Amino acid sequence: MPDRNVIINEEVVAEPDVVIKTEGLQKNFGELRVLNKIDLEIRKSEVVCIIGPSGSGKSTLLRCIAFLEEYSDGRVFIEGKLLGYKVVNGNLVRESQSNINKVRRNVGMVFQQFNLWPHMTVLRNVTDALRVVKKMDRREAERIGLETLRKVGMEDKTQYYPAKLSGGQQQRAAIARALAMKPNVMLVDEPTSALDPELVGEVLQVIQDLASEGMTMAIVSHEMGFAANVADRVVFLDEGQIVEHGDPAQIFKNPQSQRLIQFLDTWKSREL
Amino acid sequence: MNFIQIITNHYDALLTGAMMTALISGISICLGMALGLNLAFGLISKHWPIQRFCAGYRSLLRGTPMLVQLFIVFYLLPKIGLDVPSIVAAIIALTMNTTAFQAEIYRGGLLTMPPGQVEAARMLGIKTQTIRIRIIIPQLFQLVLPSLVNETIAILKNSSLISVIAVTELMRTGQQIVAVTFRPLEVYIIAAAIYLTMNISLAKLGSLAEGRLAIATRS
Amino acid sequence: MIARYAPSLLQGLWATIYITALASVIAIGLGLAVSLLNAMPFRAVRWLCRIYIEAMRGTPILIILFIIYYGGPSIGFTFDAEPTGIIGLGIYGGGYFAEIFRAGFQSIPKGHIEAAQMLGIPKSRIITRIKIPQMLTLIIPPVTNQIILLLKESAVLSIITVAELTKNTTGMVAETFAVVEPYVMVALLYWAVVEGISFLGRYLERKISYA
Repeated sequence: MPDRNVIINEEVVAEPDVVIKTEGLQKNFGELRVLNKIDLEIRKSEVVCIIGPSGSGKSTLLRCIAFLEEYSDGRVFIEGKLLGYKVVNGNLVRESQSNINKVRRNVGMVFQQFNLWPHMTVLRNVTDALRVVKKMDRREAERIGLETLRKVGMEDKTQYYPAKLSGGQQQRAAIARALAMKPNVMLVDEPTSALDPELVGEVLQVIQDLASEGMTMAIVSHEMGFAANVADRVVFLDEGQIVEHGDPAQIFKNPQSQRLIQFLDTWKSREL
Repeated sequence: MNFIQIITNHYDALLTGAMMTALISGISICLGMALGLNLAFGLISKHWPIQRFCAGYRSLLRGTPMLVQLFIVFYLLPKIGLDVPSIVAAIIALTMNTTAFQAEIYRGGLLTMPPGQVEAARMLGIKTQTIRIRIIIPQLFQLVLPSLVNETIAILKNSSLISVIAVTELMRTGQQIVAVTFRPLEVYIIAAAIYLTMNISLAKLGSLAEGRLAIATRS
Repeated sequence: MIARYAPSLLQGLWATIYITALASVIAIGLGLAVSLLNAMPFRAVRWLCRIYIEAMRGTPILIILFIIYYGGPSIGFTFDAEPTGIIGLGIYGGGYFAEIFRAGFQSIPKGHIEAAQMLGIPKSRIITRIKIPQMLTLIIPPVTNQIILLLKESAVLSIITVAELTKNTTGMVAETFAVVEPYVMVALLYWAVVEGISFLGRYLERKISYA
């Protein structure tokens, strides 16, 4: 008699190069379908920029990949392992938090609102996870922490509390915090949308440096110029579906679909 | 009216009584803090049975008089085989009471904390329990300190009720002194003044702590 | 057993309710008066108000009752237990209500008052026609809360032998052997009354708010 409850941890071993893969990803908020059958693949060292109008589901897509939102249907694979659920008799059953954490270990995230912890200094923000999750001792954690902060240009602000820093500084510290854990892929959710215009550049520079060093990244952003320069691939999302995707030259200079053309038009008319 | 005489003749008893009051209140508040935090997390739990149970506990303990709660605990304990001294029963009753009130205070604070910080912690792989201890609770205390100070004062005042189950704290000490001096007005006014002093000092300490915490972590 | 003591408990419940009601009326009146006095430009008056408010918020109700009930005779006024309880509870609650009204007054936007002043409306009218109506919606939750608090504190009156709900329960316990059950029952009774008052309060809030 075959087992009645068959638990499969679906492993996609055929493509070791694929860091993130979504298959038929769907997300509903009640009646509203926010993401509709998203198929996406991100390979090692690829930088994928996700663009689209407000409400298109870009952030939701990233958050589903991060499992900060539980997706309603489809599959998300991180480094070949199914994220968030296990398959029992063909149904998705929510995984335990510790298993989710295991699959998600090598994913780092940068948030629009930075989300630094206000009651800790910059250094502690960066080292806390190292000490608590990777069980490093203080010296080792601070060594790595300082190294990462130096990378983002924040080495002389280590003892500052977030409230005393500008938005750009806070975001760079937040990037350092994610980097310190040595992730294999970074999810970047509108990193500059909450910043004053003059601070946007310093953050984009840090992200660009990361990209040129070979970090695998999925970036949601409104900065079209940045996407054109840094992305290997651009994905255009509208009303929860991938309408068009390709390399930046193709997307920005030679858009095929009507909606993409319209979207780019509104951006063109904004940049005087 | 010889206030001074009463004070000089009985200051040691008064002092002991006051210290008992402070001790019992302090223990109840600290225990209430630990239990109250857990109850608060239970109150915002997505697990329906847990949430309902916690809400029920909170509603009952906040919706019934402290005196009645005290009697229930005092008479119930021997019946279930726990023959403990009055003072233990008193602490248990006070703790159960303050747990419910503190839980409500903490819950209010938890609701106003931005969820993004917890998300960032989750993405870094930090476990839920660790997130609560290192990230949520330190900020929570800063947020709810004023309400917490009020609750501390309330417990201190409620502790006067345990005199009816013969615990020798400040109130009972006062009654004992009245039995000796036959001057209830003066004695109880003195006792009231002592309670007042303790509570005002607590309030002042609270504002001081508030100020210090604010400097340390904000701009 | 319950049936035998039902009348005594019901009487206690009724006593608790009207004691709380009367004490609330006294406390609200006192609190309103004190909060108005506290806004006067006389430093000594404000100082006295502050002392009263802090004293009531910093001392246990039990001591206040003892001072009046046991201490009163030595300076000439002797009251029965029940009036003492009502007055004591009322004076105690007054301090809290004064704070509630103070916060309520403060939350009225200054601009509304200035507009009235520019239109020449006299101060007394400003209070009655603008301040108090605007405050009403805002203060219903804290006032409801405070009344509930007074209800719960009324149990303490049993210690100075007032025949309210808790005292009658204690009497019932002394005569029967069931010690815990009566108190649990009575706790549930209190709880029901408290929930009832909360419900009324929320209902009132909805009716009065002009949103």
